[in-house]
Amino acid sequence: MKKLLFLFALLVASSAAVAQSAPKGNAEAAKKDKIAMCIGCHGVPYYKTAFPDVYHVPMISGQSEAYIIKALQAYKSGDRPHPSMRGIARSLSDQDMADLAAYYTSHKN
Amino acid sequence: MIKHALFLVGALSLCASVHAAGNVAEGQKKSTPCAACHGADGNTPVGPDFPKLAGQHKDYLFKVLSDYKSGVRKNAIMSGQVTNLSRQDMQDLAAYYASVSGSLHIVPISRLKGSGH
Repeated sequence: MKKLLFLFALLVASSAAVAQSAPKGNAEAAKKDKIAMCIGCHGVPYYKTAFPDVYHVPMISGQSEAYIIKALQAYKSGDRPHPSMRGIARSLSDQDMADLAAYYTSHKN
Repeated sequence: MIKHALFLVGALSLCASVHAAGNVAEGQKKSTPCAACHGADGNTPVGPDFPKLAGQHKDYLFKVLSDYKSGVRKNAIMSGQVTNLSRQDMQDLAAYYASVSGSLHIVPISRLKGSGH
């Protein structure tokens, strides 16, 4: 019986972990209050970064959904160097990233 | 006078080396290894977490390739791919992918509706 309980607990824990690792993206939630920190750069046509190098910020509307999440995670972990994006990504939860990715992948003109 | 002219030539060639334009046709020839993951048109990646490149800004694409090459941007696949690319190769590839039309675009802030802006 104890063994069964343990197995059950393990099952619950692992399914919770799976749910946590891949939250479902909600574009509407992103639109409501999460894109505000993106559009100041990514919503300005031909906007250029001023620091640390000068180049056009990438277009993200229409980009692959899973790639957007992976890119944000890479900024958060430090695998990508851009200072502003690191700061922003560190403030995002997995759910935030999923919501933003869902929003931008389906973003229409 | 000659000294001035020489200086000008020197300064101009320096500018050219910094801003050397990539060659679209050369980039297309060099893009075969890229197509294996990013799709033949740069707009249909074979994996869900691979980026679309078609139509992306040229200077951004070049910057990203340079960052993989220098190691400040880390990715197991891309770090290997850029090892043998020269600066010219990266400029050509950036020019090529920027010239292809795809689904990437910008929605200006002014056109966003219902987001309080």
